Amino acid sequence: MTDILHVQIDRIDGSLQRLIGLIERRGFHIDGIDMVEQGAFRHIAMKVRSRDASRSLDNLGLQIDRLVGARRISNDASFRSEAA
Amino acid sequence: MSPAAALKTPTAPAVAQSGARLLVSTLERLGVEVVFGYPGGAIMPIYDALAGSSLRHYLCRHEQGAAFSADAYARVSGKVGVCMATSGPGATNLVTGIANAMLDSVPMVCITGNVAQGVMGTDSFQEVDILGVTLPLVKHSYLVRSAADIPAIIEEAFHIARSGRPGPVLIDLPKDVQFEMTDAPRGLHLPNEIAVAEMAAILDAETVIRAARRPILYVGGGAKISGAVEAVRAFAAMTGIPQVCTLNALGTIPSGQDNYLGMLGMHGTPAANEAVQSADLLIVVGARFDDRATGKLAEFAPHAGVVHFDIDPSEIGKLRTVAVGVVGDLKPNLEALNRRLAQGEPINVSDWADQWRVRTRETLINYDAPGESVYAPGLLNQLSKMAGPGFIAACDVGQHQMWVAQHCEFSRPEAHITSGGLGSMGFGLPAGIGAKLAEPDAVVVTVTGDGGVMMNIQELATVNRFKIPLKILLLDNSRLGMVRQWQEFFFERNFSEVDLSDNPDFVKVAEAFGIEAFRIDRRDQVTAGLERLLACEGPILAHVIIDPAENVWPLVPPGKNNAQMMHAASSEGDY
Repeated sequence: MTDILHVQIDRIDGSLQRLIGLIERRGFHIDGIDMVEQGAFRHIAMKVRSRDASRSLDNLGLQIDRLVGARRISNDASFRSEAA
Repeated sequence: MSPAAALKTPTAPAVAQSGARLLVSTLERLGVEVVFGYPGGAIMPIYDALAGSSLRHYLCRHEQGAAFSADAYARVSGKVGVCMATSGPGATNLVTGIANAMLDSVPMVCITGNVAQGVMGTDSFQEVDILGVTLPLVKHSYLVRSAADIPAIIEEAFHIARSGRPGPVLIDLPKDVQFEMTDAPRGLHLPNEIAVAEMAAILDAETVIRAARRPILYVGGGAKISGAVEAVRAFAAMTGIPQVCTLNALGTIPSGQDNYLGMLGMHGTPAANEAVQSADLLIVVGARFDDRATGKLAEFAPHAGVVHFDIDPSEIGKLRTVAVGVVGDLKPNLEALNRRLAQGEPINVSDWADQWRVRTRETLINYDAPGESVYAPGLLNQLSKMAGPGFIAACDVGQHQMWVAQHCEFSRPEAHITSGGLGSMGFGLPAGIGAKLAEPDAVVVTVTGDGGVMMNIQELATVNRFKIPLKILLLDNSRLGMVRQWQEFFFERNFSEVDLSDNPDFVKVAEAFGIEAFRIDRRDQVTAGLERLLACEGPILAHVIIDPAENVWPLVPPGKNNAQMMHAASSEGDY
């Protein structure tokens, strides 16, 4: 299953790397990235696909919420409905 | 520094000072007293500023030792542990310690020097992208680009390290930033927020708990971290619900307490594992369903619903579906639950609790093992009894770690310092140093093995340099015992690369470092040996020879559920 994940991150060292690393480490493939600058932030839309059925997108969202300097924009329902 | 932090009100301008001096003065202002570290080229300005500061710097003999000492200091003191190292190898040597703190949710700030920004990315001498290396291992990290940002970043780092679910924060300081002079440092004042759950979740939890007939309280390391120990104990006393603890929670419920069934999991007690497997409800407090606790997850507590209290929302439902998730700080949430429970009908699960009290008595450990060789479980049980309430065990990793968990008695969670999540050999000796510095009046005993002690044995020099009155109990089976045990039972006795019979003479090694040491070979020497260990006013090492064939029992085999425990079996043959 493929989903689109929208996240806003601070424009600081390591923030993009941290986000991407977390998503891959937690069992998701990243099949596409679109990023635009928004002042002090960067808005990222990512097409993600779980590596196996045991990986929960809801839990991935909660893991992203733990990152300092990253804010998930989509709620669980919306990033499912925006599936590419 | 995050843009949000940069918007905060600046502190009053000060006289111009270097970034390095600003770092040290900020640490002083935040109340830091103890720092563990090792200098090197890219952090020399900070070490220059350290001289003359109020910070007590403990020069360790390896950066991994510094990180482990800072970790244990934090666990025992409740403060944020601080360690520092230079760039390149200094920074990478911290990495295992950072991972250890991350997996056990220990608040730590790790400061690394780095090469100047102008040469970053050119593969310059001792240059490593430590920010990149540690990204998966930290709660957060910073690369400081300007000296003026230092106070705000340090304050924010301390706040992040200790707030919510604690963890390590890395601050990487390029050398030019350490030298940079600034008279306009930006400060930061962060609120101390306490996250409390919605009352509706607590009411839902109350309803489910009241309906349960076979409930178990499953306590994890989060209870201690959040300061919820008294609330957990009050809940247990008020409800009479039987309790089990994870490895990192030992001491939260005092050993021997009525209705306490012991540790669950791979080397847990029969009563704890059987009760969990029979339960209709698990009340999980600050635990994360670690595989060492659950065994085969799909068959863990198969009849139980789950009420999960945790400050980390990503832990709720991560591995086990919950009936009720109560997200927030454990202490206020459990206190609120206790108030609710105290107002209504008392919970009565006495028949269920009686069943497990009986089972606990039936499965009490017999320390009267045959033979004349030292029986490590018996020795450790005797040690904790002789050491008294001030006892703190700082464990290494391996069989002895499990024996400590099974056989020592703990009356508070700070008394049991162990590398639970990462399981990092080499933790014991530096952890003992950190624990003793955090609580000088405690009877701190590093319990280590002949494998683990060799991984950070250089820290004996730190013990001697600072005359830290640490007691070291070295259980020597001249094997990598836990690996050997698994090879015996799960790899058809193919004993591959576990023989350490060419170990050095540890008594001579300790003495060479200036530390008193002696040897215990036989069981009839144990009592006198422990008396000598505990009576010594300075650092001391007891080298205890134990049977290489001794195993840790019971054991849940890999891929099995917690009801499928193996119990003591005869072990024969060539080890």
